[in-house]
Amino acid sequence: MNLRLKTSQRLWTIAFLALPLSVYVIVVIGPLLASAYLSLTDYTFSAIASPEFAGLKNYERLVNSKKIHTAFQNTVAWMMAALVFPTGGGLFLALMLHERIRFANFFKSMFYMPITISLVVIAQAWSWIYKPDWGLLNTLGVSLGIIDREVFWLSERGLALASIIFAWCWQQVGLSMVIFLAGLTSLPKDLLEAAQIDGANYRQSLVKVVIPLLLPSSVVVIALAIINSLRSFDLVWALNRGQGESATLAVEMYEETYFSLNAGYGSAISIALFALAAIIIAIYFSRIRYLEHLYD
Amino acid sequence: MTSDLRREHLARYVIYTSLIVLVAVYSVPTLGVLLSSIQLDREITRHGLWRWPGAVTLENYERVLGRATVPNYLKNSFSVTVTATAFSIAFGVLTGYVFSRLAFRGSEFLYLAVVAGLFFPPQIVIIPLKQLFSKTPINDTIWVLVVVHVAFGLPITTLLLRNFFSTIPAALREAAIIDGANEGQILLRVMLPLSLPALAVLATLQFTWIWNDFLWPFVLLSTNAKAHTIMAGIVLLKGQYDKAWGVQGALSVIASLPTLLIFLFFQRYFIRGLTLGAVKG
Repeated sequence: MNLRLKTSQRLWTIAFLALPLSVYVIVVIGPLLASAYLSLTDYTFSAIASPEFAGLKNYERLVNSKKIHTAFQNTVAWMMAALVFPTGGGLFLALMLHERIRFANFFKSMFYMPITISLVVIAQAWSWIYKPDWGLLNTLGVSLGIIDREVFWLSERGLALASIIFAWCWQQVGLSMVIFLAGLTSLPKDLLEAAQIDGANYRQSLVKVVIPLLLPSSVVVIALAIINSLRSFDLVWALNRGQGESATLAVEMYEETYFSLNAGYGSAISIALFALAAIIIAIYFSRIRYLEHLYD
Repeated sequence: MTSDLRREHLARYVIYTSLIVLVAVYSVPTLGVLLSSIQLDREITRHGLWRWPGAVTLENYERVLGRATVPNYLKNSFSVTVTATAFSIAFGVLTGYVFSRLAFRGSEFLYLAVVAGLFFPPQIVIIPLKQLFSKTPINDTIWVLVVVHVAFGLPITTLLLRNFFSTIPAALREAAIIDGANEGQILLRVMLPLSLPALAVLATLQFTWIWNDFLWPFVLLSTNAKAHTIMAGIVLLKGQYDKAWGVQGALSVIASLPTLLIFLFFQRYFIRGLTLGAVKG
């Protein structure tokens, strides 16, 4: 390649990257580093007092805080639920809808629709299911004689988090369904036929052929589940603002920062969240490599 | 053979029945929102929400749209969503092209650094970002939201467009170079015309995400800012409409219509977008 062409390519590369990467650095990378710094200070948004360096004090407080322990457990519980329910439910629906059935597109759309709706609206919808006085669950439960008093689905300890996660799983099922459906459609037909000729029944070909071949789709489903559970804030905030010990790390971070104005401490929580994300993602990707080689 | 056939019929029957039951149960939360939006609050107070509506009314919708606040929220949502979608895709075209066709030393690392952004919870940057914007003239305007959505959209648009550009045969670009085209011309005249389906996929995805977002306006704009979007508006109005269930329902329906319509009309693109790369892993 001649030199002039090479120089011209360099210039174009710089021109193409300049604006997008500057915006990315200013809005994402820079603030990320700033957060790391603020987490070592006693910053309180105060305009008069400049932030004092506080060393690891915020992190010490974080490690010993009972609220943070709960929020951490809640975030992990959310992640576990995210890995099991939408993934399992989505796989189940995908296997059913992959069969040649009529109105398959209608069914798919119905399961998929909640994904296109904002979590704010999802919260609205579910608040009418969980509402203590005339919510659907209590109305039904009382009239069927299953419960004899109003259950406070969104404020009772232990129950609140489960209720929120349930609503969230309801939304996410459609997403895993679509991804698994795409995976199923791309399965090599001859492999399935070969299994059938060898006399495999449905269950056998499912466990031995279909599910291993769906591994790449599962990778995506699981990655999405992890990402989405770590940032879980919207639904909690819109449903009950973390009542009944249902706050996640992201909610706790918001409360500390905006209500208690402990921006330094809030930054420490957000950096902890960042570290958690980085660790999980690193583990996840190293496992994935390993798993993929298994099926090579 | 006949028993096989009968078994297949039975299996089909079971699948249909369970699908219909599942869809019915699955639609209940959505149905609740619709039900509330067409009933008067005093009806709901008296009889609860979960029954066949006595009298259907559109009053809630009139109340919601009759006040300046909500149409203003909607207008903001449209401006932010359309602008940010357009810019984030344009940026993704530029970076995706460089990372797929103009590799240089360190470009792989840069690419990974951008795509890694997909995994990080946005909460991490909230505090410094708020401080940063408060020092700029765009503070408390919709431009704050546009900038943030464009930046946070870059990982996904870069990822998908790099993958897409990589599937376009290299020979096309080489032929254009021989014809004397520069990289700008190649991108505009060769790559982009071939990428329209991929761009449509990204547009539907970005539109939906940005429209539905509530976090950014909620944390970056002050409560009384005029720039709030409809999703933040729903949460902000909640205090005012504490017992106004009908209004809350109507608000929810109106706020969801744009993305629902996009979903109905561009379903294929939408689903392709979410499954892109899923198959290849």
